[in-house]
Amino acid sequence: MSRPAGALLALPLLLAGCFAPAAEESADGGQRLALALAFPPVAALSPFSDDAVLLTRMGVGETLVRLDEAGEPAPLLAESWSRVDDRTVTLDLRADVPFHDGTPLDAEAVVGALAAAAAAVPAPRSIDGLGLTARAVDEDTVEVQVAEPDPLLVHRLAAPGLVLLAPAAYADPAAPDPVGTGTGPFELTELRGTSGATLTADADHWAGAPELAGVDVTFPADAAARTAGLRAGELDVAVNLPIAQLPTLTDTEVLSVPLPRLVSLSLDTADGPFADPGLRAAVAAAIDPQPVVDGVYEGRADVAEGLVDDDTAGGLDRPAVTLPPATDPAGASIRLATYSDRPELPEAAAVLAEQLRQAGFTVEVVVAEYATLETDLLAGAYDAVLASRLYLGDTGDPVGYLAADLTCAGSYNLARLCDPAVDAAVAAAATRADPEERRAAMLQVEAQVLSTGAVLPVLHERTHTGYAPSVSGLVVDPFDRLLLGTETTVEG
Amino acid sequence: MTAAGRVRPVSAARPRRTPGRLRSHLLRPVLTGLGAVAGAGLLVGALPWLSGDDPARTVLRAREVEREPDPAVLAALREQLDLPADPVRGTLSWLGRAVTGDLGTSWVSGQPVGEVVPPALGVSATLAGTAAAVAVVLAVLLALPVVRRAADGRADGGGAAGVLAAALAALPEFVLAVVGVAVVAVGWGLLPTSGFTGPEHLVLPVLALALPAGGLLGRVLAGAVRETAGEAWVRSWRAAGVSRSAVQGAVARRALTVVVPQVLLLLVGLLGAGAVIEAVFDVPGLGRVALAGALAQDLPVVQAAVALLVLLGLVAGGAGVLVHRALLGPAGSDGGLSPELPPPVPRAGRWAAGLLAVLALVVLAGVLRDPTAQDLGDRLAAPSWEHPLGADALGRDVLARFGAGALPSVGLALLISAVVLVTGVAAGLLGRGRAGLADVLNALPAVVVGIAVAAVAGPSLVGAAVAVSLVAWIPLAVHTRTLAAEVRASGFHLAARTSGAGRGHLVRHHLLPAVLPPVGRHALLRVPHTALALAGLSFLGLGAGAESPEWGRSLADGVGYLERAPWLVAVPAAGLVLLGVAAGLVRTGR
Repeated sequence: MSRPAGALLALPLLLAGCFAPAAEESADGGQRLALALAFPPVAALSPFSDDAVLLTRMGVGETLVRLDEAGEPAPLLAESWSRVDDRTVTLDLRADVPFHDGTPLDAEAVVGALAAAAAAVPAPRSIDGLGLTARAVDEDTVEVQVAEPDPLLVHRLAAPGLVLLAPAAYADPAAPDPVGTGTGPFELTELRGTSGATLTADADHWAGAPELAGVDVTFPADAAARTAGLRAGELDVAVNLPIAQLPTLTDTEVLSVPLPRLVSLSLDTADGPFADPGLRAAVAAAIDPQPVVDGVYEGRADVAEGLVDDDTAGGLDRPAVTLPPATDPAGASIRLATYSDRPELPEAAAVLAEQLRQAGFTVEVVVAEYATLETDLLAGAYDAVLASRLYLGDTGDPVGYLAADLTCAGSYNLARLCDPAVDAAVAAAATRADPEERRAAMLQVEAQVLSTGAVLPVLHERTHTGYAPSVSGLVVDPFDRLLLGTETTVEG
Repeated sequence: MTAAGRVRPVSAARPRRTPGRLRSHLLRPVLTGLGAVAGAGLLVGALPWLSGDDPARTVLRAREVEREPDPAVLAALREQLDLPADPVRGTLSWLGRAVTGDLGTSWVSGQPVGEVVPPALGVSATLAGTAAAVAVVLAVLLALPVVRRAADGRADGGGAAGVLAAALAALPEFVLAVVGVAVVAVGWGLLPTSGFTGPEHLVLPVLALALPAGGLLGRVLAGAVRETAGEAWVRSWRAAGVSRSAVQGAVARRALTVVVPQVLLLLVGLLGAGAVIEAVFDVPGLGRVALAGALAQDLPVVQAAVALLVLLGLVAGGAGVLVHRALLGPAGSDGGLSPELPPPVPRAGRWAAGLLAVLALVVLAGVLRDPTAQDLGDRLAAPSWEHPLGADALGRDVLARFGAGALPSVGLALLISAVVLVTGVAAGLLGRGRAGLADVLNALPAVVVGIAVAAVAGPSLVGAAVAVSLVAWIPLAVHTRTLAAEVRASGFHLAARTSGAGRGHLVRHHLLPAVLPPVGRHALLRVPHTALALAGLSFLGLGAGAESPEWGRSLADGVGYLERAPWLVAVPAAGLVLLGVAAGLVRTGR
């Protein structure tokens, strides 16, 4: 090859020679853990985005309270709290908690952080539109107030979007910077774009010094990449592994935690064939979730009895569901849509479609990336949608999900259900403060919804975290917000 | 002879360039670049209007996947984003700011675009540059046997190396990537599975990109060598006793002139379109940035990415033309070249027929079975008497699906190849021999083209075919452009022109006979690639239905089960390779 051609071909190499920045070698000894989280930061780890849950999973950011296994608030950065009235609560802060930059976690810092969250566009989901204000009562007491009576006020403060960062983090109040400003067992010392982050243990953490010296985090969006890294021994812990690849993890432990996540088939009640309740009942009779759970999910999911799982139902009896009499499908032609972002959904849709065909429907299955489908899904372009939804939102309470997904004014109503009785039941459930009464009211809504045949529960998902046998002390959190703690270790 | 006069368009009556024209000669590239950037920026700026999706909603979803589209939230966000009233005004103000160096901030992350796009471009350039270099080396190695025999005055189809090259050209990149990770990184522990922090991270992604590209370039190169070997000077050199190695070197160099523009095309194409490979290896490249940005309608990011890619595409396209001229050297001037018709390739047709017969038999065996019957009890069942080629994740018979998928995969791919062959040859012959629309389109990330087409043509198989056709003609057009430039520089073309032959006569009797066979072979080689590209857009809802047994779709569905059920990947991949090898061996014309 002549010289000009060679030079031109080499030019891009000379221009570029670019790699992603590598993590700096840590000077001190001690064990470090290699962690792969499920998606890259979308907003440079600003808590006012999905990145918030990355902050809590990494053990970098902490909230005032956390949710325990029953979904009730438990102390975290606030040691205790008391209701002043039905829209006000005062919280006593844990004493002697410093941010990673050394400034103290006092009432002023908490007020500033909550104010920034309330002013964000949009505000974190758990407090959006509530008119939340905070004021310092004294050095370590904060009063939080909302505009309308709210039984869930304390629950809301557990949302990852409300992690507390040092005042320095809010230089740009719209995009707080968590580098060196958290309170968790691990300090975020470096964020390398969307490719990785370096965490260093905070020896002064209020719950004691972490066992680990630090954590090296990567964010491979591709689930197969996380699985491969774990198998090759490059990673110690990888979250959100696909069921299809779990059997290949022979030298690795898998932690499966049931999630408050429902896979359900929503039928378009507004128009098309499923405006007919009889045809909806025919679908309800035709589909059988068991083969989906056993086959597609390989037994790593639970057949859904209702919209919420038994833990959320809290041992209460579910009211009886009465569907209208089923009509004969007679070859009714329907389009069933689902998305490929969750790898099991397309296969599950194919199984359900086959069941519907056996029952006499003519089914066309549509699969695409969620981003390209959403507008059509919400506009009712498909007769049936197989979707996966978190029903315990940020507050550990399903009423928000019921309101958004099943009421006339709901903004994520895939079934386009508009039933005054359901609306009234949801509104009634939202006012209940007593947990037991609230659960009973919620189950009442569930029975009413299921009796319309608009939403057919299929299964409840679990999340699968793979870890090397040398790792111990991972935090098991049914809300999937926590992962690393002071007890987490990896042996030599 | 002035440099400007070396390669001239067909309209030979045009006067020699004067100093005044020289100024326009310098001005034109700048105007072309500006126009292309504005056009591409407008296309991106119009995406929300084309797709009908509210940018406030797509941006909110990118930030918070599970968040409900509450109207009050969307209204607040819309106000914050300050959305332009219409695409034209939005693009103009973006262009105005971009010219002054202000690329704005990302709507999703709030970070300055200048801190997001250039580093990603650097990473992609490293990956694509290395892949292109490796592909060239591989292509030369694969074409060596042909060069050796050509220097001895014999012409052939390339033998085993030719078959290997055609097989490589048919391999899907993402399958190579996943197999590489499973075998080399996980199995042998030789290389890291993912990440991009040092040269060791380059090997697997580069191989995944370079093996198919190298195979394709190798076949194109071998074809060019055979054409070259028929030229009179080779006989003269050999008769004059010039050393064998000198003849080989000269033949190879002469043949490389055809391949270099193709390599530059590949290089630019890889910059913005490597999203799949980047995802498999967790490489923070521009392909993923563009993909995520386009899906979130993060216009500032996508506009900056597309503007950079389009400019690079134009530069590379112009460079391809210049390098081609430089490589031709003095021979590129009027009458300096003497392309001739090489002797026909012996026997290759019989092999192609044999391979196609094997493929047809398997397809026939599959067509007789039921491709839709599910049996979850047979999930991922290994090949057995009941399922000769195994069963897929839903217990469907793989042989049956292979058979049923043949027509939608191969048939449509062949149809598209025929269409783009005609388009590519026409565009290559009529083009002015400089960088233009083809280079711009080639540089656009596939997702941008896909979204635009899905918006206009609807999410259908036709849409997928249109989106694939929109880019598939480009390598053929550039190939044609390169070959046509050589023919126009030849003695017989000059003779015909000076004796007053019309444009139509020149095209029919001199250009087409020289251009069509090699470009036709090139088009055939790309048939498997086209079949894959059709499935590659299915995430946008473009293409055959979700339950279609189409091969590309089967491959994509099966790749997650690579280690548990390798037959899910092996069967459709083998089909594509057989098709590719057969297509590579088919004789076109002479």
